[in-house]
Amino acid sequence: MIKQLAVLVSLCVSAWMPMRVAYADDSIKVFAAASLTNVISQIAKQYEQENTANQTEIRTSFAASSALAKQIEKGAPADIFISADTQWMQYLQNKKLIQANTQVNLLGNQLVLIAPTGKRFKVNMEKGFDIAAAFSGKLCTGDPASVPVGIYAKQSLTALTWWSSLEPKLVGTQDVRSALVLVERGECDAGIVYETDANISDKVEIVAKFPESSHEPIVYPLGLVVGASSNAVGFYRYLSSPQAHAVFTKYGFTVLAK
Amino acid sequence: MLELVKFTPAELTILLLSLKVAIFCVLVISIPAIATAWLLARKSFYGKSLLDSLVHLPMVLPPVVPGFILLVLLGRQGWIGKYLYEYFGISLAFTWVGAVVASAVMAFPLLVRAARQGIAQVDRQLEIAAQTLGAHPLRVFFTITLPLALPGIITGLILAFSRSLGEFGATITFVGNIEGETRTLPLAIYTYTQVPDGDIPALRLVILSLLLALGALMLSEKLERKANRHIEHQDD
Amino acid sequence: MIEIVATLSRKRFKLDAHVALTHRVTALFGPSGAGKSTLLNVIAGIAHPDSGRIVIDGVALFDAQQKIDTPIHQRQIGLVFQDHRLFPHLSVEKNLRYGAHRFESAAQQKGLEEITALLELGSLLRQKPYQLSGGEKQRVALGRALMSKPRLLMLDEPLASLDKRLKSQILPYLKRVAEEVEIPMIYVSHSMDEITQLTDHVMHIAHGKVHAAI
Repeated sequence: MIKQLAVLVSLCVSAWMPMRVAYADDSIKVFAAASLTNVISQIAKQYEQENTANQTEIRTSFAASSALAKQIEKGAPADIFISADTQWMQYLQNKKLIQANTQVNLLGNQLVLIAPTGKRFKVNMEKGFDIAAAFSGKLCTGDPASVPVGIYAKQSLTALTWWSSLEPKLVGTQDVRSALVLVERGECDAGIVYETDANISDKVEIVAKFPESSHEPIVYPLGLVVGASSNAVGFYRYLSSPQAHAVFTKYGFTVLAK
Repeated sequence: MLELVKFTPAELTILLLSLKVAIFCVLVISIPAIATAWLLARKSFYGKSLLDSLVHLPMVLPPVVPGFILLVLLGRQGWIGKYLYEYFGISLAFTWVGAVVASAVMAFPLLVRAARQGIAQVDRQLEIAAQTLGAHPLRVFFTITLPLALPGIITGLILAFSRSLGEFGATITFVGNIEGETRTLPLAIYTYTQVPDGDIPALRLVILSLLLALGALMLSEKLERKANRHIEHQDD
Repeated sequence: MIEIVATLSRKRFKLDAHVALTHRVTALFGPSGAGKSTLLNVIAGIAHPDSGRIVIDGVALFDAQQKIDTPIHQRQIGLVFQDHRLFPHLSVEKNLRYGAHRFESAAQQKGLEEITALLELGSLLRQKPYQLSGGEKQRVALGRALMSKPRLLMLDEPLASLDKRLKSQILPYLKRVAEEVEIPMIYVSHSMDEITQLTDHVMHIAHGKVHAAI
């Protein structure tokens, strides 16, 4: 009996200890939109290399901005949040989860129509064009109900009066990168993603760009989450630095902040 | 509190889709699984343990792995899927048929295991006696082996049905999470948890899943008891 | 006329049979482990000999040299086992009819009535095997084998698992079958008492070896 009790107690202690460490851990946790996966990973690595003295560690989590906002709302330990649209940043602002005066409109992007490499199709970006006949199969983009790229896509498609004919062909994915992968694999014959995503892949080609007037401006706001660790401020500021700007530009993002 | 039982039409669609996929899954695997179970229970042949291992693989792998393998084989650019698409125009992604395929792969080992157990415990001497009475091996199977193995087979069928209802990893990897086509109960619950204000609908679907699971278990109990009564006292 | 030549080598056992039977009812006598069941299994096709020949009334059921090996279900050899082996999920009547299903219904019905009368199974027809006593089960097993109209009936120690009282109950039925049914029979037992009540023609088997011409 004593033996079992001892085993039980040591199991509990050893389970509890990593949890203690997790809360005491001072890595910087960045929650960023899926389209920022490559660029933020690179900037984070750059920052770590420039700050080896402090042994700074940056942990990233990339997903649809809607999913991230939900996770932060539920108490996920994020320090920095970068959303692909202002809606989800505002969502957290309304819940008083973003530190006052830390919201900065960081980046812009371009919405594009893509097809698998070698399967491009002819399209005129104007109202009345029979887009549904221009390609067979499905069109992949983020879920238009919540994922930013899907929301922008729906706006553009509606502005071009293409929404009703394309809706039956639409596949809504959980984030923009899933949509990209599906087009790469040829499971979708067309997709709507950001230009920066299309640039990363050599298995898709850009068929056309959506006019900026057809959707709300694509803005990536950055913010410090309430309760962020103190060393997160360093990286938060770094994201607006010239070094970071250079990387953003290289990947094709428009830099908004001065 | 009341909102927990007010199911929307969208949620009923999800339930019907799940049931459709699960029923077709069981229909598709029944004969191959029972045949495989019989082979493993009654025959020895070169490569038997390899077959046994292959059959059990989906059970021990994380579901996304078989899902990914299905993608590699049957996706539009897959080794087999390529030809399916080129010559027959068949594409399984985003379709409920693809969801059935994913479920079938994951449920197959469960049915084989249960059916094998059921068949193995049928007294072989009875099968031999039947043959001495002039029954061709196929007749022996349908008139002696199958009826006596029924309790095990029924358990297997219900297990397979439940497994299909709960299938997530392979489905979402292979055919995606498409409303009305592949968004079965578990995928729908997951989707709702990813969306703000999705907790109440998620909870509703969770309650539905619990009720279905309970129902399946109780039905399995009842059918097994009935089949056992029919057999009664095999070792007398 | 039954001719059986068979050799079968297993790990600790070797069957060496050379038998020619001309009488209708024959017995196979030997102690436990002598190979009685093995020989029956070979004749029925359940076990496969290494070499030899099995011919019944001119029909070769097995011939190692000519590569003839008729499967069990085509040999038309009825077997009554020591443990009855009735199908537990079928009624007594369905058990009886099992081996006769290829006969047309009128013939089947007639056969059923005859066997039921011969073995007094009338009251048992609707019951299930688990409801019967040991002796009743053996009678049904005997009836079931008979109803398949085999060309040879073999009984493998059918009374071994019954007590003295039951044995004396069943023996009359066996005698009746031996006398009234025109099917050749091989009766296997380790009890000379039982055998002498059924036939005078006995083959002896010991340590797997049986050579007889009776």
